[in-house]
Amino acid sequence: MADLSNLAGLGSDPSGEIDSSASSANNRSLRLAEKEKRKGEADPFGLAVKYLSQVEAGTVVRGNDELERNMLVVETVALSKGLPSEVITVLLDLALSLNAGTGNCARVLKFLIPATVVPQEAIVKGVSWLCVGKMPMNAQVLFVRWVLTVFDLIDCKDNLRSIYGFIFSFVTEENLCPFICHLLYLLTMREHVHPYRVRKLLDIQAKMGRQPFLTQLLALYKVFRPDLVTLSLPSRVRTGFKNHNSTWKVALSAVQRKNKGAVLVDQSLSLDVKEKPSTRKRVRCHLCNTVKSLTEHTLNSNKKVFCLQELRSFRELLENIHNIELPAQMGSLLGSALALHYLDCVQDESASLRLNFWLGHSLQEEFLLCPVDGSSDNTSEACRFLSTILFSQQFLQEGFSSTESFLYKFLSVWDGCLLRPQILDLLSDIPLMPSFYMHKLLFEPLKQLYFTSTVFFKVCMVLLFFFLSVCLYQARAWPCVLPRTMTLSGFMDSVMELVRFVGLLASEGLRLENCHVLLLNQTLAFYETVCDMFLKYSLPLIIMPPAGVFYPALFATDSVSVDRLGYIMYRYRKNLTLAKKQEQQREQTFHISRNTYKEFNRNLQAMVNSMWNSWWCIPGSDIEIDKDLISLSKVPEPWCRFDLIHHPALFSYAIEFHQRCWPERKNVDLGSIKTGKYWNWYMEFLFNQGFDGLNNFIQTNTGHSSGLSSQDDRQPTSQP
Amino acid sequence: MIHISLGSSTRLVFLPRPVARWESGMFKSSSCFIFFWLGVFLFIMEGRGSAVNTPASRPVTRRSKSYGRSCVEAPSYFWQTPGHLAVLKIPNSRGTAKSQTITNKVDPEHIALLVKNEWKLSYITPLHHFRHTRLKSYSKHLSAFIVAEKQQGVAVEVGLEAGFKVTFSAVLGLAETDEDAETVFIQIQSKPVFAAVADAPKVVWRGWLTCVNGDLEYLRSLPPDFVSLPLFCTSGPESLTTLVKSWFERVFDCNFGCLALNSTTLNWLTALWTGCHPTCNIRHLKLAWSLPTQPPLDVSYTVNPQDAWELWNSIHPEESTDDRIDIQEVQSFINGLEAHFFRHFKIFLSAGTLVKVSTALGSAHVDGKIKIGNSDYITTLLTLLTECALLKMPA
Repeated sequence: MADLSNLAGLGSDPSGEIDSSASSANNRSLRLAEKEKRKGEADPFGLAVKYLSQVEAGTVVRGNDELERNMLVVETVALSKGLPSEVITVLLDLALSLNAGTGNCARVLKFLIPATVVPQEAIVKGVSWLCVGKMPMNAQVLFVRWVLTVFDLIDCKDNLRSIYGFIFSFVTEENLCPFICHLLYLLTMREHVHPYRVRKLLDIQAKMGRQPFLTQLLALYKVFRPDLVTLSLPSRVRTGFKNHNSTWKVALSAVQRKNKGAVLVDQSLSLDVKEKPSTRKRVRCHLCNTVKSLTEHTLNSNKKVFCLQELRSFRELLENIHNIELPAQMGSLLGSALALHYLDCVQDESASLRLNFWLGHSLQEEFLLCPVDGSSDNTSEACRFLSTILFSQQFLQEGFSSTESFLYKFLSVWDGCLLRPQILDLLSDIPLMPSFYMHKLLFEPLKQLYFTSTVFFKVCMVLLFFFLSVCLYQARAWPCVLPRTMTLSGFMDSVMELVRFVGLLASEGLRLENCHVLLLNQTLAFYETVCDMFLKYSLPLIIMPPAGVFYPALFATDSVSVDRLGYIMYRYRKNLTLAKKQEQQREQTFHISRNTYKEFNRNLQAMVNSMWNSWWCIPGSDIEIDKDLISLSKVPEPWCRFDLIHHPALFSYAIEFHQRCWPERKNVDLGSIKTGKYWNWYMEFLFNQGFDGLNNFIQTNTGHSSGLSSQDDRQPTSQP
Repeated sequence: MIHISLGSSTRLVFLPRPVARWESGMFKSSSCFIFFWLGVFLFIMEGRGSAVNTPASRPVTRRSKSYGRSCVEAPSYFWQTPGHLAVLKIPNSRGTAKSQTITNKVDPEHIALLVKNEWKLSYITPLHHFRHTRLKSYSKHLSAFIVAEKQQGVAVEVGLEAGFKVTFSAVLGLAETDEDAETVFIQIQSKPVFAAVADAPKVVWRGWLTCVNGDLEYLRSLPPDFVSLPLFCTSGPESLTTLVKSWFERVFDCNFGCLALNSTTLNWLTALWTGCHPTCNIRHLKLAWSLPTQPPLDVSYTVNPQDAWELWNSIHPEESTDDRIDIQEVQSFINGLEAHFFRHFKIFLSAGTLVKVSTALGSAHVDGKIKIGNSDYITTLLTLLTECALLKMPA
């Protein structure tokens, strides 16, 4: 198309030579440009356009072969390649001025296919021709339809907006009204909405009834100025505007396909009305409701404000963060990441309070004061709602206070089964509070649920999981999210309470459920977090697992639990060592009670003795059993039943090792593993099975090195 | 009052943690097999008894922002309604009902409007950006909104008289404390389509928002751009109530919920009203119970006012020095009435629920419907109802 450019200079350039600067700008080679130029001189299209631009008013049209010929040339080019913007200006002027007659007016409009863009001046001029009022009605309609079709291709729309009033005056034309309404819909800004225009539209509405195009335009007016006009759309709205591009659609898309890289026109200009959600449910209704506030509009109608829902990207948010307008209903923002960013940033107390009021109300009405309308099918909806809340909370990394207070109420009536995953997730976002309240609001109802639940072990696991995440979540961020009313020592007390509570639940649960493997593993997972509170989360707290958890893990029949216990004990030791070191170095540090050390030592002793030394029956320890009683069981060598070879969890490995060492032996003598180099080999074999926890534990506590891992964390050891 | 739908099978979403820690280098084999039997060396650590110190070096930053207010903070346990903390805030005693000539404070015309109807109660969360100075424009907007909602899809100009006329007015003087917002009365008039020009528009709907003796701590904790008028009384067709509610919800970002009166509230009213008998004849004390039998048994129990008062007086002597009534006194009064009924009919009324209380001073129904019979005791009633509404507030 470049060779046809700059036709604006046609009038002043009688030779008709086409300036080739544009083509050279197109990075073509000189030779090619030369060729183009030569071609251009003989270009029938250029000449035709030039001819058409000079057609004056009163030209005879009928039988004017020259006009017809030139018209045909331009038409052919237009339908195949599209027209450059200058030609569009020329042709539009020719058509609308009716210089070439009424018939040709429609004909020109029909082949007015832009190759790239449409200059807005052409449209402005066209509107002024419209104002002259000479055009027949069908030509007027055709022109407005054409404008609507190419609307996205108009290079700039500010001048068009400044003649808004002129365009608006055509709404009274009955035939033109639908198209003008559509055009106005595309052009309207807040400053265009005035009481007299609203009144005019309402008059027309009174005359024509509820026409969709009027309704759409008025709905837009209402969005901009809710203080002037009000309107409620029926729940099922017909699509607002029809497509008016039928005449040009095929040609336009063909031309566009040809000129790839040019601006793509939006083929569906019709407004897609968002389907209103069913009003039966308050929750969803609110989430979509984005009516603007009355009060705020009238206050700052002159200021350029951005509605939070209109923002699409984080970049837009950053650019407009100083004049963002909150929606009338804060509930609509829940679940929108951008809005949450904004809320997090501005820390507007009333905004978050509004959100909280709405949220608390919805939760309360939906779950606590269930309407008795028998809506039992709302589980999926409730589930979605809770998931949205969860998303928002996870995004903010903090729970809403209204969900918190809702949960306290809800826990006392919860059956432990309704929407369990969501409720448990929500629970894990609850901030720590003073231990008094924690007992009252959280532990009591949870304890009841825990012990009375029918799907017992599942709840056990999930509960533990929840506590684990609470702890993690809190501990990770504790210096900055310390609740306002809590002191540091209060906070520590609460964490301690929490861990003790889980310990209690876990040991009781293990007892009731006969040391269920899954439950045991969840418990150990919890303690994996707890044991590292000092090192990983800088919480000056070390809390040992209760005997009800420790011994089931130590004597577990699955090797994974034993290995985990090894790892936990290893981490405890590291934490305690470091804590002690710090305590010695600095006078001022935290205090870990003597009992913790004692407990640790006792557990450590029990573990090492039973697994390594085969003297597990230490007088005075937790597991002292009367010798006669044991002899009654007739177990041979009862003291070594839990050593690394005979431990029920490791027994199979010992057998396998034995088979590999002495494949020819018929009777298994596990005792022979203990002799000489076989022991070391056995250790090596065992640790190669992936028992890293045990490996670490044995390394640090017995000084036995398998040579697999680094030894820098070894401590000087001493006899008990 | 709490219904939880049970028995929905929810899929358990549970993501187990990996059970073993697989670390890189785990299978690295070593060529060195020279190890020594080192025996067992236990490293036993000693806890030193030292003073309790908390690390002071750690900066403890207080978090300034919050998404709402924590429940266990200052004004907070207020709204722990069904939970345990409710006992902390629900008053166990309240002042006796005192007659005051309310018409000295409040325009008698307004009072007359409040007295004659039966009102359906709702609670509302605090109104955002509500201004008592803008009542006129609210009138215009609400009437336009109602018209627009009535004829879906037709736009309505704001401020044009069309079909419905809405009047917002402030009822000054009902507020008891400085924190109470003034009561707002809303009246909707409609002109029938085929009415003659001279016909006066008919009042089709009335409603009012009020706050009397609201909990000071709660009201003070609200930011200044909120106005708390927690009690909403309506009288008129449900469709209009819904429209008014949805208009409020859109404009002031608030939410409505039903305010049912629990039996404790009804018990309180019974006692308070009975106590008024010497000063103002209550004429009758009518109580209605509903008993969960098959079929349900409704018991209507009318007590001679003098007898009721004597029973009450034996529990709470009139000449007692303090003006306060205790919840225990209320309970024993109700127990007394129930015991009397049992003696005659061998029916335990305590097995059912008290559904309605009515005297000449007013009536209250468990569904949240009230009638005000005598304006002189309106403050006591509204104080009690405001309290109920505030207890429903979320967060």
